[in-house]
Amino acid sequence: MAAVTAHGAPTLPRSSAWLLLTPALAMFILFFAVPFLTMATMSVLSGNPMVVPNPRFTTRHFERILDDVYYLETLWITVRLGLSTTIVSLLIGYPLALWLARARSRTTRTLLMMAVLAPMMMGLVVRTYAWLAMYSNRGVINGSLAWLGLTDEPIQFLGSEAAVVVALAHIYVPFMILTLSGVIARIDTRLEEAARGLGASSAAAFLQVTLPLSMPGILAGSLLVFALAISAYVTPIVIGNYNIQTLPMLVYQQISSSFNLGFAAALGIVLLIVALLLVGAYNRVMARAPGAA
Amino acid sequence: MAETGGQGARALALQSLSKSFGNGAPAVDNVSLRIEEGEFFSLLGPSGCGKTTTLRMVAGFEAPDSGQIRLGAQDITPLPPERRDMGMVFQNYALFPHRTIAENVAFGLRMRKVPKPEIATRVREALALVRLTGFEDRRPAQLSGGQQQRVALARAIVINPAVLLCDEPLGALDKKLRQQMQFELKTLHRRLGLTMIYVTHDQEEALTMSDRIAVMRAGKVAQCGAPREIYDRPVDRFVADFIGDTNILDGEASGLALLMPGGWRLPLPEARQGRASVALRPERVRLCPPGAGLVDATVEEANFLGDSVLLKLSLPGEQGMLARVPRHAEAGSLEPGATLGLTWQADDPVMLADA
Ligand SMILES: Nc1ncnc2c1ncn2[C@@H]1O[C@H](COP(=O)(O)OP(=O)(O)OP(=O)(O)O)[C@@H](O)[C@H]1O
Ligand SMILES: [Mg+2]
Repeated sequence: MAAVTAHGAPTLPRSSAWLLLTPALAMFILFFAVPFLTMATMSVLSGNPMVVPNPRFTTRHFERILDDVYYLETLWITVRLGLSTTIVSLLIGYPLALWLARARSRTTRTLLMMAVLAPMMMGLVVRTYAWLAMYSNRGVINGSLAWLGLTDEPIQFLGSEAAVVVALAHIYVPFMILTLSGVIARIDTRLEEAARGLGASSAAAFLQVTLPLSMPGILAGSLLVFALAISAYVTPIVIGNYNIQTLPMLVYQQISSSFNLGFAAALGIVLLIVALLLVGAYNRVMARAPGAA
Repeated sequence: MAETGGQGARALALQSLSKSFGNGAPAVDNVSLRIEEGEFFSLLGPSGCGKTTTLRMVAGFEAPDSGQIRLGAQDITPLPPERRDMGMVFQNYALFPHRTIAENVAFGLRMRKVPKPEIATRVREALALVRLTGFEDRRPAQLSGGQQQRVALARAIVINPAVLLCDEPLGALDKKLRQQMQFELKTLHRRLGLTMIYVTHDQEEALTMSDRIAVMRAGKVAQCGAPREIYDRPVDRFVADFIGDTNILDGEASGLALLMPGGWRLPLPEARQGRASVALRPERVRLCPPGAGLVDATVEEANFLGDSVLLKLSLPGEQGMLARVPRHAEAGSLEPGATLGLTWQADDPVMLADA
């Protein structure tokens, strides 16, 4: 906000403030608003206006989605994957974030931070194929189990929803940790001490003070991981072994093999609406939690 | 320190407490103190001398490297904070920002599983005690600094702690509010018969409020005693200098006189030989006509303080001295440049241990 400056600093006239905002605004319009509006328009047109001269307004794409159980089921699987991934990331990420935020020694913090960031830099495809190597019939997990004599037959991990969730959680948990540890680090440790001094056990102090005060981090981290997980494409295909269908896969098929842009756009819009509804509901629940400021 | 009966049933004893953070000198170094039940006890000292660390060890937030903390007959050193029965008021109040004032005050009672109706009554009483009735449903961020401080106090005393620990609770307040809160704290202490350890680096605050004071320096207790004793009989240069304005005079002692660099003799309360130092409070110095006192001095500056005048004087041998005199004393001779005589009683100067 360039126009709102502190005392003594030169105040910009309104017009120049807008001028300063122009690059950001242009980026927003070009890369967010235009594609979104294009997609929304396509989802209610009978054909691609670039190819078909006079497309009509139609709701048939949406009707097709709502009439066919197959699409609704895919939507449900996508959301379910997103929710499971979010919960698993939260359960794994919270303790690590707490450790990262509260580690006294600088070395511990640096090492933890590197451990969190290093996998992120390897890229999603590499990590997905690493999981493929872990899961496959003669992979690391089955190999170890057989070597220990625990299993006779390899366990079929690939193609199971749990395997996809574990891989997704592994890939997206750094986002959860980074978001959470930032929030937790800003909670004054003296608040926990105050709670202890007033008779709370360390567990009670955590539940009564630290956890509620880290709600904003839980909220932000969960939304981030959820959004990333429901739009994931590579990992569900590779680890799901084409056994698990998610909405992003359907969208891709509609575009690449059926050339049905309108239907693909409608699928995207439906996913967006469902996600927004879930986010809204989550926000409301969290706002009523005791910790929300 | 042995347990004595009577008053000390729930006395708090710190025995040879030491704590080092592994970076150079220990933060607390062999501190032994005994705080009687119902006593208002202050820890006073400059920044970084180990006051907070001492208090945190008593509260159980920091484990001592060696030494013991006893409450009455019980050794509480191994107990976690929640089982020590102490109330703590933090320097920054540490109120729970996500809870209302009533919930903040009720917290300790809830943790103690006190029945709900009783919690309500006791919270109401505690808030009335700190004069915050009507603020129950606000959040800490909606209160002023002084009000937050009183909530912190109410939250700590509502659990009826054996000892109330305060870490510079008034540090963030302006002077006027500070004085008002000092008064309120003192009243509360008297009414509830609390045992209190009060950390401050404000010597005036410690002098006016405490039953006894421990002056700390670099992790050690330099002197422990009643305010009057500390003020009138500081044991060394550090204490004399830290508590109030003082003149420290160094010279060569021979029997009952201290030979000063300016060539005059200062009578000593007790015989000494060799290098010696005394502390002399400015208000002990009295004025007399030139030549009639112990030494003559020239007025350098006269500062009007309201009820008194603070004189900056220069003695023979380029030595400075402060004197505080009633404002009506010899009004004419208080102009800069004037010469006057100084005198005091033989037992006004206090011998310091570290010459
Ligand atoms: N957690 C810690 N880690 C390392 N050193 C510490 C820690 N806490 C305190 N210290 C050191 O111990 C010494 C005493 O600190 P302490 O906080 O007890 O001082 P204080 O008397 O309360 O000072 P102040 O009046 O400034 O609050 C200081 O030198 C400080 O740097
Ligand atoms: Mg301190």
